[in-house]
Amino acid sequence: VESVALKDGLLALLESPAPVTLEINAVQRIDTAGMQLLTAFVRERESQGRQVRWRGSAPALSAAAALLGLAAVLRLPDQAP
Amino acid sequence: MTIDLAQFHDTFFEESFELLDSMEAALLKLDIGAPDSELINTIFRVAHSIKGGSATFGFSEIASFTHSLETLLDELRTGRMQVTLAMSDILLKSVDVMRAMLRAVQAKQPIDQQRVSDLQFDLELMIVQKNAAEAVTAAEAAAPAVLPASAAPCASLPSATVAQAQAAPLADAPAAHWKISFRPYRELFARGNDPLRMMRELADLGQLIVNADVDALPSLAKLEPQECHLAWTLELHGSVAEEAIRQVFEWTEGDCELQIIRVESPAAWSDEATADAILSTLAAEATSPQAPAAAAPAELPAVEPSAQVSPAAVAKYEAPPKAEATVATLGDSGSIRVSVEKIDELMNTVGELVITQAMLSQLGTMIEGSTAEKLRAGLGQLERNMRELQESVMRVRMLPISFVFSRFPRMVRDLAQRLGKHIELKLTGEQTELDKTVLEKIGDPLVHLVRNSIDHGIESPEVRAAAGKPAFGTVHLDACHRGGNIAVEVSDDGAGLDKDRILAKARARGLVGPTDLLTDEQVHDLIFLPGFSTAEKTTDVSGRGVGMDVVRRNVKELGGKIELRTERGKGSRFIITLPLTLAIVDGQSVAVGSETYIVPLISIVESMQLRSSNVSRLSGRGEVFSFRGDYLPIIRLHELYGVEPRTRNLHEGLVVVAEGDGRRVGLFVDDLLGQQQVVIKSLEANYGHVEGVSGATILGDGSVALILDVPGIIRAASLRAAA
Repeated sequence: VESVALKDGLLALLESPAPVTLEINAVQRIDTAGMQLLTAFVRERESQGRQVRWRGSAPALSAAAALLGLAAVLRLPDQAP
Repeated sequence: MTIDLAQFHDTFFEESFELLDSMEAALLKLDIGAPDSELINTIFRVAHSIKGGSATFGFSEIASFTHSLETLLDELRTGRMQVTLAMSDILLKSVDVMRAMLRAVQAKQPIDQQRVSDLQFDLELMIVQKNAAEAVTAAEAAAPAVLPASAAPCASLPSATVAQAQAAPLADAPAAHWKISFRPYRELFARGNDPLRMMRELADLGQLIVNADVDALPSLAKLEPQECHLAWTLELHGSVAEEAIRQVFEWTEGDCELQIIRVESPAAWSDEATADAILSTLAAEATSPQAPAAAAPAELPAVEPSAQVSPAAVAKYEAPPKAEATVATLGDSGSIRVSVEKIDELMNTVGELVITQAMLSQLGTMIEGSTAEKLRAGLGQLERNMRELQESVMRVRMLPISFVFSRFPRMVRDLAQRLGKHIELKLTGEQTELDKTVLEKIGDPLVHLVRNSIDHGIESPEVRAAAGKPAFGTVHLDACHRGGNIAVEVSDDGAGLDKDRILAKARARGLVGPTDLLTDEQVHDLIFLPGFSTAEKTTDVSGRGVGMDVVRRNVKELGGKIELRTERGKGSRFIITLPLTLAIVDGQSVAVGSETYIVPLISIVESMQLRSSNVSRLSGRGEVFSFRGDYLPIIRLHELYGVEPRTRNLHEGLVVVAEGDGRRVGLFVDDLLGQQQVVIKSLEANYGHVEGVSGATILGDGSVALILDVPGIIRAASLRAAA
């Protein structure tokens, strides 16, 4: 259910010509389905030459990205481990 | 709740036998010294599945034996042991023993304990003496090899590999790591599995490197949030047991493709190259104080318990490979198992439908009026659909001949080894399909022909060398469609048939007069006589003179024929022609009086009108007519079946020259009606056996026509003539 809402939110931003900044400070937990949506979003934006920026830090998100091997695709901001 | 496991026994046996067949096939394909890891995995999976199944059903002897086998195979799979000739022999023997055990259990007979424990001992000995086995490998390589390519790769085995294999301890070496390919199906999330949780568990086991495959990811708009489109390749470093890894994936059974491969890496694990990808630290970080205190616990509760409440270790170990096997079978064939009775029932119903349709078509021609044309168009459509339906149902009964061919590689290998001959077996046309009943009955004759080729046909390597032939003799099995028939050929490049010797033997036994001159064909015919053998000494393979007559009889019973072409010093070819199916026959319908009879087309040589000058009457032998310089007896069908004919004058009717049992006769009939495929209805099943009749069929007008058994008629006629 949450992932459906996330998808709709991301879809709305997908075509935005301006750089999109995602505020991730509030991310407490995320599952693989959520990570998959983010990955699809970032990948598609990049293929269109549009940027995605991240603001804030979310250890849960970073850890999940690393564990799923998606850190490189998502270009998450560097964080002190 | 108790479940009666006995109801699954049959399925288990059936599957196990099939698995063993595939294991045997894989073993025979296995190159000594340079084995294909996929083949070894196949072999391993078979042992593993049978072990699992037999343990489940309480067949402890089989489970115990397969456990030893599996241990040995695991050594092969991980590359700690090499495939040697001795190894492949012992593995093939294991297949035999497992088959024997399964048969015994199936038949509720005692298992041959001695044989099992002997082989099990050998298997275990092989594992224990692994280092010694390496030495044996070298010795093996030096010994004369029987199979192609067996010697060289062993001899050239790099010493480094050997050394490494010796050095590797039995337990998982720290130098080794695991490669895991994890490709979830889309349903993975929906089944409550979260790869993130699994990765975390893996990262707890050792150093984990994750590579995600995002290529299958659709565009965001098309992405169903609850479908998984990601896949991963993982490397797990550290001394981790395979069970521990499988445990992590335990709940994904059936929801993913999972491969866990052990990789030997002599080079030390390099920190810098992969430093940024090492995740064990990161995983720890997720629960570190830096993360919001609520995060980790909130995320985990649904997950943790499942990891702790784990079923018995054995069950865990079993589950994932089973998933793999299921996936493989689904992907490979996507087939279902149907009992033969059900198909036969279907065939029967379709046969009845064909008859009904024929009746309707005939009625359609009699109807007149405005709607008649429409009716006939509809009937024409019905006829086409019927034919398609009939063909489809027939195809269901068809199996590729590879089911029969697959037993030959093993047989040829064993025979060649025993006889000290070098033989290469070539199989072609394995995908040619034929009726299951035909398939089942053609196996034994083929085995006989192949044994003959190897024993009598192919010469010993020395003789071949002297004759300037390659040392490896070739036995070639081929199958192909030829018209409405299947031709199966067994050929070899051996010595061929020695015509003079056959003739001499036949003269000595009084089968042929001392001055009779025989054509090649007639000489070849001699070898199909009962008890005829030119072998100087009887081996346990062949030479007792039982065989070729049985081969010919079996082939004839299937409505087929066997031909022989041979050239001395060059080899021989046996060509078996078989009907596609036993349920339908191509027939010529003939009229005798008011009755219609069907003569199978395969028996007919030609049909002709007789001139009275061609016919003569021999005292005591009945009527004969001259046919291409031969005199053939005339059999009047109206006399044979006691019907009133339209004519008794030979020149007013027709003679169908038919062949059967090696002889030809002329069947006197009133008229030829037409050729058609007829569905054979067994008389035996509905009435009883009638001499000279092989079955009956129902014609379009609903009347019954008898199908002639030409060989039977000829036999009966010659008996009468002799009396």
